[in-house]
Amino acid sequence: MNVIEDGIDVLSLTAHKLYGPKGVGALYVRRRNPRVQITAQMDGGGHERGMRSGTLNVPGIAGLGAACEIAKREMPEESKRLSFLRDKLKDKLMSSLDEVYINGTMEHHLPHNLNISFAYVEGESLLMGINDIAVSSGSACTSATLEPSYVLKALGAGDDLAHSSIRFGLSRFNTEEEVDYVANKVIDVVKKLRDLSPLYEMAKEGVDLSKVVWAAH
Amino acid sequence: MAYSDKVIDHYENPRNVGSLDKSSKDVGTGMVGAPECGDVMKLQVKVNPETGVIEDAKFKTFGCGSAIASSSLATEWLKGKTVDQALEIKNTDIVNELSLPPVKIHCSVLAEDAIKAAISDYKNKQGATSAKPEAVTVQ
Repeated sequence: MNVIEDGIDVLSLTAHKLYGPKGVGALYVRRRNPRVQITAQMDGGGHERGMRSGTLNVPGIAGLGAACEIAKREMPEESKRLSFLRDKLKDKLMSSLDEVYINGTMEHHLPHNLNISFAYVEGESLLMGINDIAVSSGSACTSATLEPSYVLKALGAGDDLAHSSIRFGLSRFNTEEEVDYVANKVIDVVKKLRDLSPLYEMAKEGVDLSKVVWAAH
Repeated sequence: MAYSDKVIDHYENPRNVGSLDKSSKDVGTGMVGAPECGDVMKLQVKVNPETGVIEDAKFKTFGCGSAIASSSLATEWLKGKTVDQALEIKNTDIVNELSLPPVKIHCSVLAEDAIKAAISDYKNKQGATSAKPEAVTVQ
């Protein structure tokens, strides 16, 4: 990363996103061209030029440094490995199931991320069937609101597909064996839930679901 | 979210999944909810026209585990009841039986609506078919 080439004036990052310890991060603030001034979130002894007062979390900081060091060394190889696993997961799901849609583009995608919608299957019910796998859903039912993910909607997924989305995240510690296990399990549960789905039945009968007048509730 | 054992049981072993012939005059079909809201329930009853007793009930549900469990439970309760007894099933009965948390109460409301919609479809069909022969005799 190059703050001049990338035009970065302020940048915050957190260690746990790159396998570092939780509760520590870093803040980059440009000193000149332009000089960026920020307001301190807390007052105290005026450490860090008054931007962040308080005693430093030294073990955390050392952990962030070590995590960055490993990331720099392993990222090129790791990215390839993770894209391979991610693509394997995607290909397996898409070849075994119909009406599966990728959210976002594959071109501008992080290597470890797969956000995918299984049409006619509601996200939370899918999570319930794969409860030994840690994933998240864009479905409204998983949160307190009844609105599905606004990010997915902004990416172009309709409300119905946003309710059917699952986000898979792969990590340094996942194996190819685990990817096979996840793919098979998801395929089984999606098939089971589609047998239960009145929408899948209607779609198979040739009903255009976008033309149906639903009794909203 | 923690699910009650009964919700998990209905999710894993849903009762009476399937479809009945919606064109049959003894079958009432109720379809409630909307895909945009994340819940659609289809509930069908097959009524014996002589006795008014529900002989069979089937469902299909797109929705969360609690929505699936609510409709699965509804089909279990419907069988053997008369259409009038069926209309007495309240969403609170479903909430209590499945120990649904407050955020899932709408699932039970949807199941009650589905029962009412299915019975009302059945009653409409009976009304329509009894009117038909008269129309024929007029001709």
